Formats: sequence, structure tokens, C-alpha cells
Amino acid sequence: MVVILSYLCFGLMTLMPGDPVDLLVTSNPKITPADVARLRELYGLDQPMYKRYYNWASTIVQGDLGYSRTYRVPVSELLGPRLLNTFWLSMASLLFSLLIAIPLGIFSALKPGTKFDYAANFLAFGGIATPSFWLGILLIIIFSVVLGWLPAGGTETTGLEDPSFLAFLLDRGKYLILPIISLSLQQIGQFVRFSRSAMSEAMRNDFVRTARAKGLSNQTVIWKHAFRNALIPLITVVALSFSTVFSGAVLTETVFSYQGVGKLVYDSIISNDYNVAMISFIISVTMVLVMNLVADILYGVADPRISYK
Amino acid sequence: MELQTPESHTNKRSLARSTQNSSDNQSDNLMETSRVTPEANTDPEVQATLSDKDRKSLETSLPMWKIVLNQFFEHRMAVAGLVVICAFLAVAMGADLIAWATGLNPNKQNVSARYLLPMTRSEASTDTREATTEVWLEAHPELATKVQTEIVEKNLIPGVSNQDAIYELMLLEYAQSKPKIALLSGESQAAMKDLAKDFSTYHVFGTDEVGRDVLIRLVYGTRVSIGVGIMVALVSALMGLMIGSVAGFYGGWLDSLLMRITDALLSLPLVPVLIVFAAIDLTKLPFLDLFISNGNESIFKMVVILCLFSWMTVARLVRGSILSLREREFILASKTLGAKDSTIIVRHMFPNVIAPMLVSITLGIGNSILFEAALSFLGLGIMPPTPSWGNMLNNAQEVMYKNVWLAVLPGLLIFLTVVSFNFLGDGLQDAIDPKAVRR
Repeated sequence: MVVILSYLCFGLMTLMPGDPVDLLVTSNPKITPADVARLRELYGLDQPMYKRYYNWASTIVQGDLGYSRTYRVPVSELLGPRLLNTFWLSMASLLFSLLIAIPLGIFSALKPGTKFDYAANFLAFGGIATPSFWLGILLIIIFSVVLGWLPAGGTETTGLEDPSFLAFLLDRGKYLILPIISLSLQQIGQFVRFSRSAMSEAMRNDFVRTARAKGLSNQTVIWKHAFRNALIPLITVVALSFSTVFSGAVLTETVFSYQGVGKLVYDSIISNDYNVAMISFIISVTMVLVMNLVADILYGVADPRISYK
Repeated sequence: MELQTPESHTNKRSLARSTQNSSDNQSDNLMETSRVTPEANTDPEVQATLSDKDRKSLETSLPMWKIVLNQFFEHRMAVAGLVVICAFLAVAMGADLIAWATGLNPNKQNVSARYLLPMTRSEASTDTREATTEVWLEAHPELATKVQTEIVEKNLIPGVSNQDAIYELMLLEYAQSKPKIALLSGESQAAMKDLAKDFSTYHVFGTDEVGRDVLIRLVYGTRVSIGVGIMVALVSALMGLMIGSVAGFYGGWLDSLLMRITDALLSLPLVPVLIVFAAIDLTKLPFLDLFISNGNESIFKMVVILCLFSWMTVARLVRGSILSLREREFILASKTLGAKDSTIIVRHMFPNVIAPMLVSITLGIGNSILFEAALSFLGLGIMPPTPSWGNMLNNAQEVMYKNVWLAVLPGLLIFLTVVSFNFLGDGLQDAIDPKAVRR
């Protein structure tokens, strides 16, 4: 899968406007056509695509990810902290949206037809329909421009001298609040709908009626019997949402200029930085796929009726 | 919003069901009504007043589409969504009409009137006024002399010579020139009004960073955004229909291959993938030269790219229903009658998958609008000067300090449209699916 993906990706990158030599040509007006041809040969750009892919892939396998042409640093050095930043952002927003959405979904499932249910339902629809980048812009307008409470963008305050761990954490947290909110709303919408339907499905089960008939308290029935069964379909949805969260992270990171891998993918494609674009794209997509796999396995752990034999 | 109690729902629904069944299953019907009547009319008086005629009208079966329609209209938010969508569609279709009526042009720039606030009037620069007036004077010399003498006779602009009369009149700001033009006689008044029209424009939503009117750009953006959304949803539904039906009908290795591809595409994070595809330079693919010669290549490209990545849900849905349809008796019957595979799929299976597909198309339109907006926002989708809601937000981050409305309005429209399409889809789903338990 990863090999096919990387080959396709390589092919697509060759179709993008401009190649490394074009960049050199524009920066150096004295260059002659003979030089251009020589440079193309040097970089191996005159060879057919599959050969270039082979060369590129073999260097990757040896652990050499190449250099970034715009940042002038090895790609591996660039990628590490970015991946970590994105990981924090997406995990935090996933957690945040689950913390908000699951109680909302459950309570609206327990009280169908009430005002609370309608409000939660409306929030869910609204959340799904809000473009996350626009929400980000709105949040910036409200909280940074008008109120001036939170920074409009960035990852951390530069020039923070030797901060204590707590100060460091607070500083990073300050920059994370708005991106997390704007990234979470769509997820909250999805999760509210799913947890509501999963919970109302679970409440209709026969064993719930049995538990009630036994005279168990309402709390025990809901949390011990119904909720644990409602969790199973929820895990699937959460697993599938990794890719959505990462998709959203690209947009959010761009809006808030948060130094994550999504912004790296976007920036490197815009500025024609092949090595970075390809590696960061492939690694981030692979990460999402691995997350999906892990969630699939967890699914089997959570539900003993499913086995992978 | 009116809150409806769950009991009233069940009554209506079981009544509808009983009337639907009445023609083909008498015993079932009797059982149903006997179950319903005590719940619905516990009051014996009401039961007694139910005459034979009323009972008959209750028991005659409604056609399927009427039941669906009735149920759809019960879903208030869906109806509201439908109304909003119709309004937007009307705006999109009548974009040219609106442009003509307001005299605004979505691409006309006016650098002297950038970032105007909503509800303001912009005045053209002196240079533009003089140049345009000169062109007009050369085009209509006879009318010009007539107007000039009239202006001087009526002494509209004190102490002006014949030659300068029109120039001076045109250089006045809107508030001053309007009453003066109104004093002119018929033909010359119309001519002057026509000439002065472009010099001073009223901007309901203000102007953007190069002085274009925001309202009319939003109107044309509606056309582009909703157009792209609908096209993508339809084309991808068609792709999904084909792939899903082939996979579901033939099964075997073809099915597993197609479904592997579907699953693989579904698990990809869409936005980065779309960014990579959108960044492709189409001119490097020689066989596409034919398509991209006209100016709307970015729209065409957008539709193709979004279609490539949005057929999967429909394909899975169609495959699922075709798998179950395959085992039904009427398919077996048409097979025994010697129908071709294509006939079975198209004539007998497609009508059965249309209803759930309709729902997924509606939801797909909303999603496509969101993705188009996201890509255009990143500067990779619809290319300016063609306006779309997404690319109007493109430089919202810089613009919001100057005029907040520029950053808020396009997003608000996206939100409204997508919410409406989602509610519409939800309503359709509830209406079509007979098993759907109403909230």
C-alpha cells in the first residue's frame, strides 16, 4: 500500500509546475541552455519516471530523506518537530471533541424530543456544516483582534528564555486553544450524531429492559449496560475520524500558521519543494493508515464478539 | 419550533401504514386499525362520529410519493433547508439578472475605493470620469450639443461654457449631480443618467481589496460554488452507481478488487490528497489541452478532482443494496426470462437504489461545497478572477483588519448552504426510509 502510494505520489509530483532546475534558472539569469541540460542530467531529471522513482526510493530506504530546497536543512530534521506538533494538535482536538460530544449525544439520546435534544441536534448539524478554516478566521477576529485574549497564530512565543516546564506548557497551550476549537467543531458534530444514535440503539436492547426489570438503578442501567454497548460503534467512528482530523489539521494549521506537518505539506507544494512535499505527504498519510489499523485492532479488543482469526 | 410528542407520531404513522396496506392485506389492515383506534380515539364520542365516509377516506391507500412527501413536510428543518436552497438556486440562476438590475460588475476594480464599509457609495476617480465622458461625447456629438445647451440654458452649473458643461456635470458627486440630472428634459436626462451610472456605485456589502463590489461577487460566487457542488455530487453519484452496481452484481474478484480500492480511498486523509492533486499543472498532461483552452479550466479541474475522491460512499451504498436485491425473486424471474445483465441492472435494480442515492447526493452536495471552499481558500481551487465563496476568503486573514465583513460573509453563506443541504438530506432520509424511527 505504502509503495503504491509513494509511486503514485511521485508521479503526481512530476506533473506539478516547475522542477528543481527551473528554480535555478529563474534565480540565475546567466545560465545557458547547455548548463540546464547538464544540470538536468546531474539531477537525473532526463530519465523516465520509473527510473527516477527507483533512484529516489532506494535512497529513502537507506535512510536518506534528502534536503529541503527552501529551508536548506535535511528533511528528517525538518519533519520531526512538525510531526510532533501535529500529533499534539490532533490528539488534543480529538480528545476535546470526544469529551464534549459523548455526554451531549448520550443525554440527548436519553431525553428524545426535549429542547436539549433539539439543541444538541442543531449543534451537530451546524458543526458538520461549518467550514473549519472559516471558524478559525472568526475565532481570530473575536478572540485576537477584538478581545485580544489569545494569539492569532503561531506555535510558541519566540525568545522565551529558559522557561520552566509549566511556563512552557502554558505557553504552548495558549497557542493551541483556538486551533483546537476550530478543528474540533466538525468532529463534535459527527460524534454527537453517532453517539446519540448508538446510545438510543443500545437503550432499545432487550438486556436493558431486563436490567430495568431486575430493579437496577437508572444510573447502573445507563452506564454499565447501555453505554458500554454504545461504545462499540463509537470506536469505529473515532477510528475513521483520524483521517478527517488530519485533513482538518492541514486547514487549521494554515489558518493559524501553526508549525505542523499539514502546513509543511501545503507550504512545500506551494513553493515547489519536492523532497519535503513527498516525504511529509507520504509519512503523514502512512501515519493515518497506521492509526486506522491500530483502531481496528482495538475494536477487536473492545468487542469480544469480533475476532481476527 | 413546535415540539411534537412521540405518541402523536406513532399514531399518524401507524394510520398511514394501515391505509397503505388496506388494499392488499385485509386481515393485516383489520388488526392494525383495531390496534390503532383505541389509542387514537379513546373518546367514545369521537369513535361514534367517525362516519363510513370518513372511515373510507382513512382506509383508501395513499400513493407512495404522497406518503413520502407528507413525511418530508413533517420535518420542519428539512423544509426550511429546502426553502433556503431554492432561494440560493434562484440567486445563482438569476446572477446575470441581478448584475443587470444593480448595474454592478463582479470584475470591475476601483482602486480608489478599496475596503469600503457596507452601505457606502463609491465615487469613480476624476480620470475615469473624464475619459468615459470624452468617449461618450465622440460617440454622440448631436445629442451632446443638445444636452450642453440645455445645461447652460437652465443654468444648472453656474458660469460654465458650452464645451465643458457635460464634463463639469459628470465630475460632480452623486448627491449633487442627481437632482441636476433630474431637471433635464426626457432624452438628455436618460442619456446623462446612463453616463453617470458607472461613476457612482452603491455597495450594500462594501468592497474588497481591489474595490470590487462584494455583493455581486457573492452572487456570482453562489453560482460557482453551488454549481460545482451539484456537478460533483451528480457525477460522483453516477461513478459510484456504476462501480457499486458492477461490484455488487458480479461479485467475485472484481468485487473484492473494487471494494479494496474504495476502502483504500476512503481511509486517505482527503484534504492533503486533494491539495496534491489540485497543485498538478494540467498543461503537463498533453491530452488535456483540448479541455483547458477555455477560461474556466479551474472549475473543470475542481469538478474532476473532487469527483475522483467522492464516489466511494455512493459505491458502497449501491453495492450493499444490489447485493441484497440480487437474491430477490423478481431478479430471478427476469433472469429466467432471459434478460441481459445490463437490462437487469439498469431496468430492475436502479429504480430500487434511486431513493437512498438521492439522500447521499444531497449530503454529497454539501460536502463538495465544503471541499471546494477549502481548496479555493488555500488558493488551489477556483482561480480568481472567477469568484467563489472559498476564494473570496483566500486573503481573509489580511483583510479582516480592514473590513470584517469580507471575512465573515462568504463563510456564512457556505455555512447556510451546507446546513440546508444536510437538513434536506436528513429529511429525505427520514421520509424515504419506512423503518426510520422518528425522533
